[in-house]
Order: sequence, then structure tokens, then C-alpha cells
Amino acid sequence: MPVILRRAGRMDSRCERLIGVALGALVFSGFAGLARGDEADLRERIARIASADKEIRQGGIEAVTESRQAYGQLLPFLEAFQLGQIYRYGDRVVWCPALETDSGGNSIAPLSDPLTGDELVHEGVRLRVAKKELEGISPRRRERRVIQILVRAMQLFAVEPEKRLAAAVKMGGLRKLDALPDLVLALEQEQDPKIRHAMRESLSLIQLAAPADKIAEEVRREAARTLGTLCSARGGALLKELLAPRDDASQPLPAGAALAVYEEALAQIESYQLKVRLLAYVFSGLSLGSVLVLMALGLSVIFGQMGVINMAHGELMMIGAYATYEMQQLMGHSLPDHPVNAYYLCALPAAFCAAAVVGWLMEWLVVRHLYGRPLDTLLATWGIGLVLIQAVRVRYGDNVGVNSPTWLVGNTEPIQDLSLPFNRLFILGLTAICVLVVYGLMNFTRQGLLVRATVQNRETAASLGVNTRRADGFTFALGAGLAGVAGCALTLIGGGTPDMGQNYIVDSFLVVVTGGVGELAGAVWAGFGLGIANKVLEPTFQAIWGKVLILVAVIIFIQWKPAGLFPPRGRLADV
Amino acid sequence: MTGPLTEDEVDLLAADGTPSLRPSPRGRPSRVGGWRRRIRRWGYGTFLLTAAVVIPALYWIGVWTDGAFGISIETVNMLGRYLALAMVALSLDLLWGYTGMLCLCQSFFFSLGGYAMGMYLAHHGGEGGRLDSQGWNIPACLYYLYPYKVGEVPEDALTPWFWKPFYWLPSAVGLGLLIPGLVALVIGFFVFRSRVRGVFFAVLTQAITLAAWLVFCMNDMKLCGTNGLTRFDQIGGFPLYDDTTQFALYLITLALLVGIYLLCRLIVGSRLGRVLMAIRDNETRLRFAGYKPYTFKVFVFSLSAMIAGLAGMLYAPQMKIFTPTNMEVKESIEVVVWVAVGGRGTLTGPVAGALVVNLLKNKLTSQQEFFWFLEGWVPESLYTYLVWKQAYWPFVLGALFIVVVRLLPGGLAGLWRSVVSVSEGSAAVNQYGTRRPEGDRQ
Repeated sequence: MPVILRRAGRMDSRCERLIGVALGALVFSGFAGLARGDEADLRERIARIASADKEIRQGGIEAVTESRQAYGQLLPFLEAFQLGQIYRYGDRVVWCPALETDSGGNSIAPLSDPLTGDELVHEGVRLRVAKKELEGISPRRRERRVIQILVRAMQLFAVEPEKRLAAAVKMGGLRKLDALPDLVLALEQEQDPKIRHAMRESLSLIQLAAPADKIAEEVRREAARTLGTLCSARGGALLKELLAPRDDASQPLPAGAALAVYEEALAQIESYQLKVRLLAYVFSGLSLGSVLVLMALGLSVIFGQMGVINMAHGELMMIGAYATYEMQQLMGHSLPDHPVNAYYLCALPAAFCAAAVVGWLMEWLVVRHLYGRPLDTLLATWGIGLVLIQAVRVRYGDNVGVNSPTWLVGNTEPIQDLSLPFNRLFILGLTAICVLVVYGLMNFTRQGLLVRATVQNRETAASLGVNTRRADGFTFALGAGLAGVAGCALTLIGGGTPDMGQNYIVDSFLVVVTGGVGELAGAVWAGFGLGIANKVLEPTFQAIWGKVLILVAVIIFIQWKPAGLFPPRGRLADV
Repeated sequence: MTGPLTEDEVDLLAADGTPSLRPSPRGRPSRVGGWRRRIRRWGYGTFLLTAAVVIPALYWIGVWTDGAFGISIETVNMLGRYLALAMVALSLDLLWGYTGMLCLCQSFFFSLGGYAMGMYLAHHGGEGGRLDSQGWNIPACLYYLYPYKVGEVPEDALTPWFWKPFYWLPSAVGLGLLIPGLVALVIGFFVFRSRVRGVFFAVLTQAITLAAWLVFCMNDMKLCGTNGLTRFDQIGGFPLYDDTTQFALYLITLALLVGIYLLCRLIVGSRLGRVLMAIRDNETRLRFAGYKPYTFKVFVFSLSAMIAGLAGMLYAPQMKIFTPTNMEVKESIEVVVWVAVGGRGTLTGPVAGALVVNLLKNKLTSQQEFFWFLEGWVPESLYTYLVWKQAYWPFVLGALFIVVVRLLPGGLAGLWRSVVSVSEGSAAVNQYGTRRPEGDRQ
């Protein structure tokens, strides 16, 4: 990252020099004199563009076109104008974003200010007039093209940074030569490093893609070098396209110095992209692994203590997901109309409790009566799982949608081209917290001590007064609750389906088999390990072959370490 | 205890699978055994009479009276399929009931056999196939779903090499037995070598089944993807959709089921069977006694895979389609429920369990008005809940698991035996599946 920044800094001056070469002299008319936010002036411009008189209108458009870099604030108006949403109402210019229909079937237009976008208010209520009273002024046929180009160019000077960024990126995709002057202007004005980066990338893309007779050879070479130092993914695609052999003779293949430069730039880009891709795989592996860890923690603790495999563990996860859904419905959270972000904070404990209660009931009603019959327990819990799946399917249908809270929507880009979604980061953090809490619970509390005693030697613990049955119930409820939290976390990635647990249960079993039973560290290492292995293998082999490979690897692994990564030690190893 | 067992003792072991090799603690084994043997013979007689005489007779009555009385070929066909499934139940019982290994691979082995036969049937399938450039016939179901690479045209489609051996019936049948056996051999070699036991074995075999299912669902495998093998037309020169062929298939399935049953009886009654039961009851002790449980386990695993493969080969022509859904994990689990309901550790139980559960499933996966007499008497809104719907079947299946395991560990066979024992005035039989000694965890 620091390397990239340093390079970017160096690039600034180089770029500007380049621009000089590329464009020669550019007329900056009235550029310095105008101040942004001069409202009276802006309104005057709007009035002229919206004028009924053709001469005035064209003059207005031309004036704005000439000094477009200063009129970023006019962009909303121009966009509305392009869409035909600008009307004249008496002597005022107004903006009507959407028409309404009243009970009589007449079109009613709620009005807004064309410059600020504020709703117009008349005597305390929003100003609405009949559509008939408005005079529509959309661009005339001949002006449309001019306005379209103007709007596109003006987006580079928009007030909102997101709009500027999007416009800069879009320019590189369109690769229109006539956008070059605007990009150069915008780059000079731009302060935001991220947008500057995008603008430089687009600029170089346009130059590199231009035909040989439009842009000089050395400019294009310099553009390729810029793309190389920017490590631009789109630049890589363009360079590959240029270097690829083709039939069409109009564009000769690069040769000599240009070829060397292109290849060097491409190699630079590709090595960077490979690194980023690997990081992305590792991250998505961690994110898959964190769900597996949450599931496997419960499974492995239950197995370690009672020798029981809980086949309904995936369904406990599903219950967590549906508890989250219920919480969302209860608090009326819906996107984007009515977000109640607090619902998710309530849903986490709710999911834990719902799953824990179901798990505890399972233990109380079925599992504890099958003590010492692990295979029978496996079957009984499978039966419970079947019933739970079908009950949920009958009650809720085939799937339900859960909306993430707004603060988990979106992603962050810590380094260029590596985007980490917030929801996956959150799940990772949640898993870390859960592991720490379970570790603390097991090692520093009285209840944890009782559980550990039961795990080590049930009979001795019982003879020393430990209520092993109660310890079993606690462990089962805790494991189930963790699965519920996993389900709550999974709703952030996809909705809830009745059989969502089935997708994770086999992988979680493999985690338990690999990690060894009853060990937190085993579940954590094996969970993240298998998660990452899954995601790294997936793109090279197909997803299914990746899964098969992992299964084979696990079977070979247990040849070498039959009791998993962290086998029980000492006398425990005998039982 | 070494040396040959008396006939009565062998009988006892085979009949109720008492976990211990000790003589019966109940004192009068010969008399109890005698009672049981008589009842059991009676049971066998009834089953054979029903399956081999009554059903064919009913079918012929159906043919003669043109469907007015008797049963249709569809019913016979359905029963034939269930008999094939009963064979899978037998194969699992060898593993689970007698050797104590809960295997969730059975649907995979079943499907390997089914695919072998299905590929043969597809080769001789209906219209829609074509000859490839090397003169091999591409089956219709494959041709329609052929995964062309970029730039390939239909003329480039080739019959894959692994389809070719299944063109002839004998080689298809041979491979249908051999492939499941070999696959089980390889899996067993690795899994048993590292002494994977108990629930770990169940979980690993479940993962294997899942992986195999995913692979068979891929269209790139040129096994027709999720569509499965379809468009069958004839088997060994006989038209598959003919009633007589289907009836013959029913009889063949019945004969093979009886044959497999006798084979299993032979095995569990022999010294080999006693070693298997010893593995179930205490593998460590057996190892200390100088046996290598590993060899026995690999053998029985492989054998049961072959039986399941045979069942698949009988199932495919009667189902007239074979899709990867037969390979899903839940199908394996259903086999387990048949065995559990019938009574593990007995050979009659699983057969009965497979038939009973499947007939029940057949009945309960369609809409049924069990309370038709209440219609009009109770409010309409309440009555809609009383109509049995397909969606309720998983509840029954789940409840079967819980109830059988919790309340009826001996299954139907155990229930039957305890009824007999009560009528004789002795205590209920201690059935396998009750408490193991404390601390003896797997």
C-alpha cells in the first residue's frame, strides 16, 4: 500500500506533463473568475437554459458548456432537464420529480426547486399543481445530444464525490476521445486521492485505446506505464487486448519499444492482481471458516462431553436464522423504506436463546435417555432435524428474506481492488468474540470447571458431586446457542431456507473430525483451515471437485493423525 | 468360547443377535428356540406364500378379469421395487446390525449399481440417440445433455469411454457388482486402517455420499447430470414397458432377495458371523484375542456394497429412470430407518421394515382423507387440517426415528419377540441396542 501511494504521488507531476503534451493549449475561459455557489448567477443560468427563446437557450447552454468545471451545482438541474422533468410554472422554473394521480384521475405535480432539489412549500403544505398548469420544457431534438454530452462531462465536476468517482470510472469504460479535455480539467481540480486515481486510470485508458493517428506513440507508451504503476485491472484487460493477435489489420500489433513497455506494464498489473486475488480468496475462506467454526465449536464440545453427534445441529442454526427473521418482522425492519437497525442487535441474543432452548429441550427429552448409545443418538437427532425442517417449511414456506441492517451494507477497500464486505467482516469479528467468550466460560467460570470435569471423567466427576446431567444440559444448550448465532450471522449473507443447515453440517463434521473433539483450538484451526482450503481450491478446480479433494485430504489426514489435530492427551486418550 | 456352536445356539444368534457369545442366561434355550423357530418358520411361510403365490395369483386374476378384481401391474411393479429396496436394507443390516458400523454410504453403492444397469438400458434406449464419428451409439439421454466444449458442434459428440463397457448386459451386470465392491474396498481400506469407528464412521460415509452425489449431479461428468438416465426401452431384448417383462422382473427380484437372505443367514450363522458380532460388541477385546477386525470389516463392507449394487441394478429397470436423487444422503438415512423399524441384528426385520415403511410412505405421500366420515360434521376450516397432506410425511419419518430409537430399540422384530416371550411367561428379551457398559464410549 505505501508503495502504491508513493508511486501515485510521483505520477501526479508526470501525468500533468503528459496532459500538456497530449492536448497542447487549452482555453480556460472564465475559469478563475467564477465562484461556486453564487446562487443568483446559477438561477440566472437555469432561467436562460429553460427559456422559451431559442437564441437565449442555446446561448445559456453554450455558456455552461464552456465553463462546465465551475457549474457542478447545475448538474441535478441538467439531469432533470434531460429527463424532461423541468417545467415552467407561471414565470418560475420548477422541477417535478414524479407525477401523482388524484382521486379524479387527474395528474398532479408536486413541485421542487430545480437548483437545490428542496420541496417547494406554499402556505405550509407542499406545492402541488395540476399537470395542465405546467408548461413542459424538455430539450429540443437538436439540443439533446449537446445536453447528453454536457451532463456526462459535468458529472466529473459534480458536488457529490460518489458521483464524480462513478463518472470518472465510467469515462474509462466508454473510452471516448472527446472526454479527454474534461478529464484533464477535472484531474486538476480534484482533491480526493481515490477519485484522482480513477481519473488518471481513465485518462490513461482512453489514451492507450485511442487509434495511432489520434494520439502520439510516446503518449500511449506513457499511458501504459501509468496503468502499470496504478496496477489497474481494467488496464490489464486493455493491454491483453492490444497484445493479443488479431485478424483486423487496421490496428497493428505493438512492436519494439512499445511492446516492451506494454509487456512490462502487463506483468506489473498481473502480479499485483494475483496477490490481491489470493488475498480475496483467503478472506472469503476466513469468512466461510468463521461460520464453520461457530458450528463446529458446538458440535465438538457436545461430542467431547457426551460422545454424541448432534445431527440436528444444522437445524439449530436454521432456528437462529428464523429467530432473526421473526425479530425483523417484530420490529418492522425493512429496506430501504423503514430501516430499524436495532433489530439486529436484539436478534443476536434472540437467535442464541431460541436455539439454546430448542437444544436444551432436545437434550432433556431425547438425548439424555440415549446415553451411551451414540449411533442411536445420531439417528434420533436426525429425526428431530427432519421434523424441525418440515415444521419450519410448513410454517414459513420455502424461504424468507432477511435484510441486513444498513450499517452492514457495503464494503471497504483497504487496498486497491480488494473489497471486503462489511457483513463478512462482521461475521469474522462475531466469531472471534464467540470463541473468546466460550474460552473464558470454559476456563474461568465454575460452570466451565464442572463441564471440563465431566468431559475428563464422568464417573469421577459424578462421585465428587458434580451434577453431570445438568452439565450435559448446559453444554448442549451452549452448543446449540452457538449454532443459533451462526444462523443469525448467515442471514447477513443469504436469506433463510428450511434446509440451510444441511449445507453446512457435513463441512462442520469434517471440521470436528480434522480438529479433534472437545478442543476449542482444534475447531478453530480446522474450521479456518478447511474454509480457506475450500475457497482457494474452488477457482482452480471447480467447486465440487474442490469439495471432493478436501474430503480425500481429510481421509488421508486421519490416516496420519487418527484423533485429529489436537488429540486428547493422557488417560483421556484411552476411552 | 471356541469350537462349533450347536445348531440351537447358531439359531439363537442369528435370530435375535444377542450381543453376548455366552449361552443364553434364561436357562431353557432349546425350548424358547423351538417356539421361536416354529413361529419364524410360519412367518417365512407366510411371506413366501404372499410374495411368490398370492401376488402373482392376484395379478393373473387382474389380467383375466381385465382389472375388475385382483391387482394391476403397477402394484406388482411397485412391490418389486420395494423388494429391491429390502435388499439394500439387508445389506445395511449386515453392516450395522451385525458388525455395528452405521454406514451412510448405502445409497451411493445402490446408485452405482443402478447407474451400471441404467447405462445399459440407456444404450438400448428409445429414439433420439445417434451414432458418433467412431460408430458408437450415443444414448438419447446423453445426447440431449451432452456437455459440448467451446466450439464443438453436435457432430463432435463422442460416447465417453466409461459408457462403452455397459453396452452388453453381462458386462454391465458384472461391473454393477464389481464397481461398488471395489469402491467399498478402497474406502474401507483407508477408513478402517485408521480405526475410524462409531459416529466418526457414520459422519465420514455421509460426507462421501454427499461428495459422490455432487459429482454425479455435474453435467460435465457426461452422466446426464441431475436429469439422470432416462428413455429406457428394452432389457436383454425384451420390451421394458411390457407387463410380462415387469412381472418377470418382479419374480427375479423376489428370487434374488431370497437368495441374498439365505447368503446373509449363512454368513451370520458361520464363524465369520460370530467374528462380525464380536467386532460390534467389543472390537478391542477381539483384537487382543488375536483377530484382525480390520480385514473382516473391509470384507463385510465390500460385500454389503455389492448387495446394495445388485439391488440398484434390479431397481433401475423397474423404476424406468435412474437419477442422482437416489444417491442423496437422505436416501441413505431412509435405509437406516427401514432397518431400525424392522429391527437391527435380525435378518427378517430389515426386510419387513423396508416393506412396511415404503408402503406407509407410498400411502402417506399423497393426499388422504382419513377422517372422511367427519366431513360435514366439523367446520370446514377444521376439516382442512384433518386432510392428510404430502407435507406431513417428514413428520412421520422423523417421529419414526425418535420413537423407534427411544422406545423400540429392537424394532418390529423385537416387539414381536417380546410379545412371544410374554405369552410364554418369560422376561422380555434383552435386545441389542440397550445400554452399553458405562464409560465404554466409541
